[in-house]
Formats: sequence, C-alpha cells, structure tokens
Amino acid sequence: MVDRRAFMKSGALALFAAGMGGVPTFIARAADSRKILSPYKKNKVLVCIFQRGAMDGLMAVSPYTDPNLKTLRPTLYMSPAETEGKMIDLDGRFGLHPSLDAFTPFFREGRMAIVHGVGSPNTTRSHFDAQDYMESGTPFSKSTGSGWLNRAVGLLGHEGTPFRAVSLTSSLPRSLYGDNESLAINNLQEFAIQMRGNPFASNLASKSFEQLYDQTSSQILNKTGKESFDAMKMLNVNNIKNYQPANGVLYPNSALGNSLKQIATLIKMEVGMEVAFAESGGWDTHFNQGAANGALARNLKDFSDCIAAFWKDMDAHQDDVTVMTMTEFGRTAHQNGTGGTDHGRASCLFVLGNDVQGGKVYNNIKSLAKEDLEDGRDLPVSTDFRSVFSSVANGHLNINDNKKLFPTWEGQSLGLMKG
Amino acid sequence: MNFRRMYKTFTVGALLTVLSAFVQGSGSASSELKINMPYKKMGLTQEQAAAHLLNRFTFGTKPGQVKELVDMGLDKWVQQQLEGKLLDEEVAHRLPADSYEALAMNNESIVNTYLNAGQIIRIAAKNNLLDKDSVRNLDKPEYRTQLKKIMDEQGYKAPQELQRQIVNQKIIRAAYGENQLQEVLTDFWFNHFNVSLTKGQCQQFVLTYERDAIRPNVLGNFETLLEATAKHPAMLEYLDNASSVSMDNDMARNQEKSAMARAAKQRLQDIANDTSRPGAKILQQTLNAKRTQGLNENYAREIMELHTLGVDGGYTQQDVTTVARALTGWGIMPLYKDGPGTKLLEAAGPGFIKRKGFVVEGDFLFKADKHDESAKTILGRNFPANGGYEEGKQVLQMLAIHPSTAKFICTKLATRFVCDTPSAELVNKMSDAFLKSNGNIKIVLITMVNSREFWDNKSLREKVKSPFEFAISAIRATNADVQQPFQIYNWCTRMGQRFYYYQAPTGFPDRATYWINTGSLLNRMNFGLAFATEKIPGVKLNLAALNDNHEPESAEAALAIYSKILLPERNQDDNIRRLTAMVRDVNLEKKINEAADKNAPPPADQMNVQQNDMIAGSAPTARNRRQNQKALLSKKNLPVTTLYVAGNTNTVSQVAGIIIGSPEFQRK
Repeated sequence: MVDRRAFMKSGALALFAAGMGGVPTFIARAADSRKILSPYKKNKVLVCIFQRGAMDGLMAVSPYTDPNLKTLRPTLYMSPAETEGKMIDLDGRFGLHPSLDAFTPFFREGRMAIVHGVGSPNTTRSHFDAQDYMESGTPFSKSTGSGWLNRAVGLLGHEGTPFRAVSLTSSLPRSLYGDNESLAINNLQEFAIQMRGNPFASNLASKSFEQLYDQTSSQILNKTGKESFDAMKMLNVNNIKNYQPANGVLYPNSALGNSLKQIATLIKMEVGMEVAFAESGGWDTHFNQGAANGALARNLKDFSDCIAAFWKDMDAHQDDVTVMTMTEFGRTAHQNGTGGTDHGRASCLFVLGNDVQGGKVYNNIKSLAKEDLEDGRDLPVSTDFRSVFSSVANGHLNINDNKKLFPTWEGQSLGLMKG
Repeated sequence: MNFRRMYKTFTVGALLTVLSAFVQGSGSASSELKINMPYKKMGLTQEQAAAHLLNRFTFGTKPGQVKELVDMGLDKWVQQQLEGKLLDEEVAHRLPADSYEALAMNNESIVNTYLNAGQIIRIAAKNNLLDKDSVRNLDKPEYRTQLKKIMDEQGYKAPQELQRQIVNQKIIRAAYGENQLQEVLTDFWFNHFNVSLTKGQCQQFVLTYERDAIRPNVLGNFETLLEATAKHPAMLEYLDNASSVSMDNDMARNQEKSAMARAAKQRLQDIANDTSRPGAKILQQTLNAKRTQGLNENYAREIMELHTLGVDGGYTQQDVTTVARALTGWGIMPLYKDGPGTKLLEAAGPGFIKRKGFVVEGDFLFKADKHDESAKTILGRNFPANGGYEEGKQVLQMLAIHPSTAKFICTKLATRFVCDTPSAELVNKMSDAFLKSNGNIKIVLITMVNSREFWDNKSLREKVKSPFEFAISAIRATNADVQQPFQIYNWCTRMGQRFYYYQAPTGFPDRATYWINTGSLLNRMNFGLAFATEKIPGVKLNLAALNDNHEPESAEAALAIYSKILLPERNQDDNIRRLTAMVRDVNLEKKINEAADKNAPPPADQMNVQQNDMIAGSAPTARNRRQNQKALLSKKNLPVTTLYVAGNTNTVSQVAGIIIGSPEFQRK
C-alpha cells in the first residue's frame, strides 16, 4: 500500500496540480459529478482490442480432442501430444496455441477467461458488415448511428473528462461513433501545439490560441478550447516521450504494442480514461496460415506478448483494468486449397482482469461433425457476442442497462465476471 | 487489352465535360420562384450579406470575393450558383488526365484496372509471391516489386491509386472550383446518401457514384437523385441490395429444372475441373460456397430511415420488408472480366438477358428471375402482382415526394445551411416548397435564402466548419497553391474527418459537437500554423501578395491587416487587442528570453540537421532570415517583438497561422 500511495503522489495529475496551481477543470468537474472528494480516485478502465480480419478461433484455442478436426484440417491440426510446437492443454478438451503461451499464466491464475463459439446472429461473412454489426452492437440494423462502446460511455452515469473514451487509431472506430465525446489519436505526442523546429514560436502561438479561445463567444469552442489547453499541459509531450513502463517491461515493437503502451501511459496519468480501444490487423489468413510456425503463429505471438506486457506494466493498476478482445467472425472449420482458411462464423475471444472469473473456456460448442456445423462448414455461433460484451460492461464498468447498451437484444449476459 | 481500349475511347473529349459540371435541365424551374433575399430587413449590409452567403454556399471566401459579389449583385450570384454551369478551367488544369485518368473512366474500366485487395492477392498467389512467414503476405519487398511488375505488365493498378484520385479531386474541386454551391451540395448529398471506401465490395464504385449519381443531380430533382443512388453499383453493394434476392419467383424455382441453367452450371464446373486453367481454384470455391441467399433488408430500411422518410416518418417493419421485396432483383451487371458473374453470363450464351426479361441500364441490372412478383402493400398503397422493375421505381417515387421526406430532407438542408437547430417555421416553409415543386432542390434553396431565418443574427457565424470545410477555407482565404492534395487529406483525418471512409450509412453528423473535441481542436490550431508557415508539403502560399506586397510594419499591423483579409466582415477588434497586449507582455518577453538562453544554439552540424528539417523545401533566403532570427533571440534584452521583426516573412505567416487556428476562423 505504501508503494501505491507513493506512486500516486508522483503521478502526473499530482505533478500537474502542484505545478499549475490546481486540478484541471475537466477532472474537477468529472470528480464533482461523482460526488467524489478526491479527484485522484482512479477509474475502472475497459480496454477493447479489435482483431480485424477474423481470427481463426479454432487454431488459437483448439478443441483438439474432437476427432473431426484432424480430418478437416490435415496440415493445420495441432495437439498437446505432438513433440514439436505442441498445443498447451487448458482443460483436457481445448488447447492454447503455443504462440499464445504468454496467456498461460493468466489462465492458470484464473484472471483470464476464454469464450469460444462467439459471434453474431447475423450470418454475413463480409468483414465489413460483420465488423459494422459487432461494433454498432445491432446485428440486423445498419442505421444505428452509435457504437456500443460509445453507448457504454453514456451509461456510466457520471460526467467524464475529454479522455474518457480514447481510441489509439487515426480515425474514430465504429464502436465509438456517437454522442459521447470520444478521442481518436494515433500518437499522444501529437497532443500539443507544435511548430516543427521552432519552440519559441510554438510557445507564443500556444499562448495566443489560449487567449483567443478563452474569449470566443462560441460556447463550444470556448469550453473545448479550455479543456484542450488543460489537457495539453497535463499530457506534456516530455512525460509521454519519457514514459517508463513498470517492472522493466518491454513492449513488442508493433502497432498493437505501441497502442497498448500509450493506453498504459494514459491510465497511469490518471486523466480520467474509462474506455480504451486498440486494433490489431492481419488475421485474414486465406493463404498459408501455418501451424506451430508461420503467419498466424507470429500474429498470435505478437498479440499475446503485447497484452502480457501491458498487464505487467499495469502493476498497481491491475485491479482497475479489464482487457477484452474481439474479432468479427471465425474461419471455416476445414482448411482450403491454399493452406489457409476462409470466412466462417464463430471464433473465440479473451477477457483478462482481476474481476474476471477466469481459468475456464466458456462455450456451448458441440462437435465439429458436419451435422453440427453451420451450413455444413463453419463452427456455429453458440454464444452471442452481446452476452459477453454486456457481461464485461456490467461487471467491470457497473453498467446495468443492457436494453440501452444493446437495443433490440433480449438475451442473457454470460456472467463471466465476479460478484 | 480490349477493355483498356474501351475506356480510352470513352475518355476522348469527355474530360472537360466531366470536370466542368453535370448539370441537367435549365434554370426554368427556379425561375418560377424569384430570389428575394430579405437581408436588409434583417439589418445586414450588402457586404455582410455577401460574406454570409459565401460562408454558407461556398467552401470559403477568397480574398476580394465579398466585393466581387456586391459588384455583381447578390441575386445574380445566387442564380449563377444555382445553375452551376460556370466553366471550371482551373479544376481541369489541376486534374490533368495523365495523373487522374480514373476520373474519366467508367465502372467497367475501373473494375478491370484498379483491382481490389483480394484480386491482387490472387494474382500474387498465382505467381507464388506470397510470403509464408508473414502475416501480411506481401511483406517481402522483392515480392512487392515483382508483383508490381506483373501488374504493370497486365495493365492493373492498386486500389490506393484509385483512392488517391477520388480524394484529391474532391479537394481540388472544393478549393478551386467555380461552381461552389454545386460542390457544397455534392458534399452534402454524398453524406446524405453515404457510401464508404471502408467496404471492399463498393470501394471501386465510389468515384463514379459521386461523379455520375450525385453531382449531376444535386441541384435537380430529389426523386432523380434518389433513383440515381438506388441504381448505382456503389449503393447496391454498400447496403447489400445487389445480393437481395427473392426465393419466391417462378423463374427462380424453375431454374434448377431449366435445361439451359443446368448446362451453364455444367460448363462452369468443367472450367473449374480443369485445374490447369488460371482461376479454376477460385471458381471451384465460388461454386462450393454455400451462399445464404435470400431477402436482405438493409437498403430497404435505410432508404426509408436515412434517405427519405426519416426514422419517425411513419413506416413499419412490415413496410421495410415489403420495400425490400419490391427491390429484389435490383443488381449490377457483371463487370470484372475474370469474375464468376461474367463467366456465368458468357456460359448462358447470347440473348440470355433479353430472353429472361432482364433490364439493363448502364451498369444497373434488373434480374427478373430474382424479383419477388407477388402483390404488395407499402405505406398503405397497393402494388399489384407482377410489377417487375417498374414496381421498384414507383416505390422510390412514392418515397421521394412523401410529406415525411419533405420534412426530413428540409431539416437536414436547413441544418447544413442555416444552423444546427433550425426553427420549425423555416423547415415548414422549405417543406411546403419541396412538396409543391415535387422535390425541386433549387426551389427549396431559394425558399431558404428568401426566408428571414437564413439571415437572422442568431444564425450568422453559428455553424462550426467541418475539418474539410476548415482546411479548404484556409486554402481559399490565402489563394494557396496545393500541389499535393493528399497532404490536406491527411490533416483532415487528424482533425477528425476521414472523408469517403465514414463507415455507417448515416454519414458524418452535421453538428458542432461532433467535430469539436480536445484532440481535433488542437489539430485545427496546428493545421493553421503548419499551413501558414508552409510546413505542409506541396502547399505554397504568397501571403505578401494578399496585401499587395506591402509588408506590415509590426506584429500588431500584421494582425490587423491579415485579420481583415482572412476573415472579411467580421469584427476582430477584441481579438487583435488581446493578442497585441500579449505580444507586448513584459513577463512573457522575459520568459521567452530566458528560454532562448537555455536553448543556446547547438553545435554547428547538429544545427544544420535541425535547420534542414525546419525549412524543408523553402528558399535559402528564408533560411538566412531564420538564422538571423535565432541569433537575435539568443541575445538578452531584446523585446519579444523581435519575433515579429518587420520584413520577416515569419511574422506574417505566424500571424496568419494564428488567425487560421483561431476560434473565429472555425466558424462560418
């Protein structure tokens, strides 16, 4: 506890408050709306990672005991029995791909849950449509203007800061479309007034802008202007540049690693972030996906190493953070003629956090026999993605209005969170 | 390549037509309603009224343009813009055919030239150019080089090349086009009938969608516009109507029995069986794929909810399903020469389309055998059985002139052109005009500028520019020369508007609260600075020319002069006073001088790197000036206004950057 308090005292917010003579307006207001005396109280944070392209769930977490699998995937099949690059057995039925080894301790410690057979009731096998539906959270309606995460933000029940919902992407993802303020930023270092190579002019320009936005008669420009300058001072570019992950963690030098590192930075700066979003690409493995080694194996390794690094970096914040992954659909149960897999239906996802009832592969999967497959070819969707998303939102963010979170959905939450 | 020859002949002479304007009809309809703008009654001078019109009907005011409008007469200018027939020489000059060839191509040529990602991967696979160890299979540079060679040889191009052209042409037209209202409305109606480059199936058609379905109709009749979007491949793919088929069709039911269909299928299977043939594997996969075929309601729902009636427009789920049934069979002619559709059509033999009662209009194909022929009731109106293609057209017509549509469309127009929350009176006036004129967009717009609400003090400067409008208005206000439009696009993305990529069919929300957040606002300020100081590659400014090459004598003078030039008809006195006070602030001066001391000039070689980085692309004289300035700054006891030494182009560009990034410049 002593360490933790010491850390908080040296946190960015504390430094900011000391240096600038007060807490930024937006933090004060957000704290006030929650009737919290101390603005330093930490938020719960939900980190969502979208694996775009449709991850092959049957290879990531493989029902290796199913005798059909070997027939369907003669060169892709793996099991714990193999001598080289063998699967990691999870529960006698499912095996974890060896490249996901970084997840093993989380699963064994009970902080990671895996949900298998997850997907959307809409049978589309188009990446675009399936992502669109998963992110809007309304699998049969295209015109839902908002994304499910944006609605989640609206249901938090208290005011937030401009950093309440942040996506580490160059433009706002569909999940965050909507009325609640969300920030899309690829690189936190851009959060400053910058004139390349000219710090003096930057400084002067910054002060000039601050003056001008302070006096404008346009309410929204005035308010947002103030918040921008507060936020800019707080996210001092030097703090970001010099960010040191805890426990000597080294993030993989990949797009996802970079995003998660920045998310970690924001969490530790205590700027009021409650929802974070990141993406991971390259999952559309039609050709030569490989087994223990190869394209998919590399991608899985980066994916799990990034998440593991992030978790270790979270350190004292682990209690406040939950990570959930998602992907638009799974891939065909059989392998295709080019050593890959085509667009299918259900896949699997991972939820990591101290409030997760982990150590278990949640599923309603029957078998991979032809009669149990959808259209005779795909792992059918036996768990609606909304039952997982809502469960995490309920359990971690304390959001209880599933009718608003997922309009027109009448299913039950999965209950994979504690308490 | 015969298809290449095809589009070559198409382009001959077509370019100017394409670039100038696709305006249909004459101004006859609008002459029924006279332009009679009550700005004087609302207390505005001619100059103020001209500035307001320019704010709303163009992408930004160019230097001297307020006076031009006043000299010409405001009514005449509005009339000219409503006709949209001004010659666009500068646009044509900036979009030369050799680097913008797609702008004159038809869908078939585009589809067979700019392959999508999947088609490229297949070519790579065919030529063993996929990296087994890589997530993104084309990661190996040598593979990419080889693939590019193969594609060049076969006359193929990457989809990014098509995207560059569509993105750049929008920027060029908005910045340099004469028919500004037409471009503003093209932006508006594209967003209203949104399609997206994010969807692979429709991205190849987005360019022709804007060019052929939207732009020619933006000042015409709403029904024409609606039908043009409904039948365009981009919309048919984006909202999936192309794959919506009826399983309840006599022809479809008989098809399996039909000897011809069986024969066609067999021929395809034969091709697929011959594994030595290129594409056989793909064809087999297509034949194997068990497509879930049937009714798809996406387009039917969105045409009512988003394109016409509005969500509260008084339709039911039953209406959605029935409209979907009425539009079954609305699809696209097979265009890709290696695609299964083309092969299927070839296999079916000549005369197939006519025999089946299909309708072909350009690239639109009505597939009679996929159409639901039964009787239908939509919004209380009965449609008898066997209505065929005409039935869908009647449904569109009914929706286009529906009172709910009038209200919904006019609310959106008023939101775009007047204020974020237009009054009910204004919307009613405009919807009445819409209904009386059967959806004549010109008449609706004239009704709007004839209203007092348009000129009300409450709506002046009350709209916040979208990032695109903001960036383009900066280009126009400074007469900037944009040689690399894509750089402007990257900035728009950073400021929160990655246009052509908005994923949802709703289009971008049209309200200030959507555009303005902390991140986007800082990026707007940074854009202003980078733009005015020429740090955006391929953007050239001549700020001195805007002031007849007179150099302002001080920072204060520069502020006053350029505020007037960049923001005509706005009262900037307060802003100027505030900023002036600041540049004279003694404490600030001290602070900056202290900072200058701490940041003493680095060793020579290090300095060079920094300098090169700083002034990429600018003239040596500018470098000297900056070096001098830096030297000045490192000396103590010099007032901060040395930053703004007279004759230093930095002074003017920094001042211009601050004006462009200022809140006043965000408003229109």
